[in-house]
Amino acid sequence: MNRVIIITGTRKGIGRYLAEQYLAEGDKVYGCSRRNTDLEHPNYSHINLDVSDEAEVMSFVRNVYKENKHIDVLINNAGCAAMNHFLLTPYTTAQRVFNTNFMGTFLMCREVAKYMVKAKTGRIVNYSTVAVALNLHGELVYSASKAAVEQLTRVLADEIGESGITVNAVGPTPIDTDLIKNVPEDKLQDLLSHQCIKRFGKFEDVKNVIDFFLRPESDFITAQTIYLGGVV
Amino acid sequence: MDKNRINEIVLGTLKDYCERNGITEELTMDTHLIGRTRIMDSMGLVNTIVDIETAFLDEDVEISLTSETAMSLRLSPFRTIGSLCDYIARQLGLEEE
Repeated sequence: MNRVIIITGTRKGIGRYLAEQYLAEGDKVYGCSRRNTDLEHPNYSHINLDVSDEAEVMSFVRNVYKENKHIDVLINNAGCAAMNHFLLTPYTTAQRVFNTNFMGTFLMCREVAKYMVKAKTGRIVNYSTVAVALNLHGELVYSASKAAVEQLTRVLADEIGESGITVNAVGPTPIDTDLIKNVPEDKLQDLLSHQCIKRFGKFEDVKNVIDFFLRPESDFITAQTIYLGGVV
Repeated sequence: MDKNRINEIVLGTLKDYCERNGITEELTMDTHLIGRTRIMDSMGLVNTIVDIETAFLDEDVEISLTSETAMSLRLSPFRTIGSLCDYIARQLGLEEE
């Protein structure tokens, strides 16, 4: 479709899947992750960076703009989780989770939105989690960082809505990725029991919501968080 | 890039913004960008800051106008057009702090 799309966290998991799918659909994808990727495609560019490093993010986004003179889509996929009882959660863990999940989203949104505001068009998709709505034990830091992302999504949508930019979030259920590899099975089953549709999510489910946000016809859809699986 | 070019880019970008938005005040280095006598509202300032950053980037010059003192009447680099040009010159190492 010839869109210029930035996706963070494309080395593996959902980010990798999204990058491959959008490349197959004819888009130009700029990805990033802390470590190297083996994803190769004529329309794919990759850089190793930490999304919470302001200088690295600014340089990355500026280079994308300089090469294309526009950025159509930002998908803030990069994230990390930490499951632990609140009383046993190290301060450094809380900092790391907030740095990646909130600060990373904040920095990428700020830098990309500058060029979207100038172009008077653009789509930003952030990542929340059903853990926000479910107030899950053991996920205080993770879900709090994602609650902050939801708030960022709403306020940013309001601040730049008049510039023709939409900002939304997708809240996935547990999906079989590294993010949940250390979560005990009984916890996962308990989580599924809170969903209207009791199954694990799939990469395709996430992309379906993102595609909905990206459709040209969705230019009146903003400031929303859509939870997969029917979490109420 | 020298100070004259900085002044040209900043003034040119601000003039474009004013023309597009029906702002008729004459622009000088003393024109206020924030405060009681500002020529544009806060969203206008945000938009022009983005335009100025991008205008420099189009000339392969990277600046960042994100500032912790943005709205301070005493310290803000956006007090006047002149103070903004000075701030950019300092970022590019053309003037001392």
